[in-house]
Amino acid sequence: MDAMIECDRLTKRFGDFTAVDHVSFSVGRGSIFGFLGPNGSGKSTVIRMLCGILEPSDGTARIAGHDVRREGDAIKELIGYMSQKFSLYDELTVDENLTFSGKLYGLNGAALRKRRDELIATTHLEPYINRRAALLSGGWRQRLAMACALMHKPTVLFLDEPTAGIDPVARRELWDLLFEFAGQGMTLFVTTHYMDEAERCDHVGYIYMSKLIVCGEPDELKRMPAVSPAGTRRLDVTCDHVTRALQSIRQLSGVRSATVFGQSMHLLVDDKIKREQIEQQLRAVGIGNVDVHVIGPSLEDVFVTLTAQHANANGRKAA
Amino acid sequence: MTVVLSMKHQPFRGLGAILFKEFISVWRDPMTLFFMFFPPLIEMIAFGYALDNDVKHMAMVVLNEDRTVESRQLVEKFVNTETFRVVGEVRNVDELASQIRKGRAYCGLEIPPHFTRDVRAGYPAQVQLLIDGSNSTTALQALNTAVAVALTQSLQTLMRETARRSPPIEVRPQMLYNPTMRSPNFFVPGVIGVVLQIGTTFATAMAVVRERERGTLEQLLVSPLSRWGLMLGKLVPYLCIGMMMALLLYGIMRFVFAVPIAGSLLALVVSTFVYVFALLSLGLLVATKAENQMQALQMSMTFILPSVFFSGFIFPRETMPWIFYAIGTLIPTTYFIALSRAIILRGAHFFEYWPNLAILCVMAVALFCICALRFRRKIG
Repeated sequence: MDAMIECDRLTKRFGDFTAVDHVSFSVGRGSIFGFLGPNGSGKSTVIRMLCGILEPSDGTARIAGHDVRREGDAIKELIGYMSQKFSLYDELTVDENLTFSGKLYGLNGAALRKRRDELIATTHLEPYINRRAALLSGGWRQRLAMACALMHKPTVLFLDEPTAGIDPVARRELWDLLFEFAGQGMTLFVTTHYMDEAERCDHVGYIYMSKLIVCGEPDELKRMPAVSPAGTRRLDVTCDHVTRALQSIRQLSGVRSATVFGQSMHLLVDDKIKREQIEQQLRAVGIGNVDVHVIGPSLEDVFVTLTAQHANANGRKAA
Repeated sequence: MTVVLSMKHQPFRGLGAILFKEFISVWRDPMTLFFMFFPPLIEMIAFGYALDNDVKHMAMVVLNEDRTVESRQLVEKFVNTETFRVVGEVRNVDELASQIRKGRAYCGLEIPPHFTRDVRAGYPAQVQLLIDGSNSTTALQALNTAVAVALTQSLQTLMRETARRSPPIEVRPQMLYNPTMRSPNFFVPGVIGVVLQIGTTFATAMAVVRERERGTLEQLLVSPLSRWGLMLGKLVPYLCIGMMMALLLYGIMRFVFAVPIAGSLLALVVSTFVYVFALLSLGLLVATKAENQMQALQMSMTFILPSVFFSGFIFPRETMPWIFYAIGTLIPTTYFIALSRAIILRGAHFFEYWPNLAILCVMAVALFCICALRFRRKIG
């Protein structure tokens, strides 16, 4: 698997503030890399450095072997970029936005029309081709922005929160498209806040307070000892009055953490805790209909656990 | 997998795309067009009519204590200059002063009781003229005219007495280029230079800053678009609009203000083209610095305001303190106003005005290069 995106101790400082701190990872051809982290943790800064529009302060980054510092022009031909804002020209129609993007990359005449028609078919934008971009709803704007970013058939596509503010159906359809592109050999770099999207990625990286704290395949991350410590297991507990049950269950010794998850609770408990103990504890406060299952950790569990550990470590350092 | 052809070092890469987009954007945005055309038109009309320093028919009150044919003839002489018009007669000196103080008259003429007697007796006869000095331009003209009337009268009297046919020295002035001394001829070409700045400098500054605000600039930076392509693509549509506006303004000058164009129309169009190019480049320069439209507006104003005062539009540059003179040399409008007055009013030939045109060309090219080179294809 040849690496299309490689970062080595990539760092960006704005004055005293380090926005990206020694971030290293690599993404192979044809894979989908999910880049996660809270707002302001440095996701967009990393993307901007990789796209060659922000000078790194330190470290190196390569796109398809080209150094972002020295070979920016070569990189620009290879990459597509869809920013958070779906940057479109509102006064131009769908068709004109696509034509503009094509011309920007040197497409003309029949080649331009062919590529435009292909993308209109892929994204199902036909009914809207003569509509001004300003009049499109969020989901269609996002499709158009993506089609514009794809006009020149980029080998690497960067998507900065492509699904923010988009309805679930549009979100699902976008991901179906992304898988299609990855299948054709395109490398995708996607930032997101949605855990279900992260689960779909081949690899995920989690950046917190400017540092990449973990990077790997979703399953790999779930097996990390920090997430699933030896001698513990995760339980899903369904019962009545979940919120009241949570307070009660936290008092049971051997329960390391407990969160509400819809109609149930997710617990991290010591192996010695038996199903009956949980039922007893809840029945004592008058909660019935208790049902307990063993589950594996989710990516959310991974990130919540790692964030907490990291925050603690930082807190200790500060103290 | 890339479809990009071998176009590595095209200096104007992406120009076609920007032109395509920019012409559509301009066309679809009537508000921008309106704000490019409307204020210059209004200002042209306003300046053209308002900036008139020919003082005519100044209100004058008369205190005639002599009441003879001669004294009435003197008043006639004042009125015949067309500088003064009599708005009333008063009966005493206090009333004369109060009329001026109240602003009913700019000047008051007092002819004393023994005026005719003194003239006939050969004594120096005195009349007094009170002038409202609060407006120096009108006061100066009133003074000059009054002195001229008195001198002419005195001269005629002396000539009668000495039996000479003509005065010892006679000046025969011939006013070239603007024979009737109309102020529109002087001001309107300058007004065009000043008002052309308003639509143009803002337009390119806004065109780039708006993209920065909307985030589309970031999208452009990620593409292989060259900065020369971006800058020229932003400039050309507004150059077309600027030239259309200029032609409209020249039309108004010629047919509304009846200012004849003495020189070559082609020379005028070429000079205007270079000037508008320089103004648009100035707008781009503003855009390389301004983060938002508000800043762009303020920075453009900083460039435009000095041009009104230091370009020679109203005040002659030769009499300015050296520092203002120096500021004037940095302003494109200075050279354009000199050029347009030379071509429109004096009908100058190429070899007479080319230094100004050359300076304007250098300024236009230099400004454009500076903004293209200053424009970083990076953010932050």
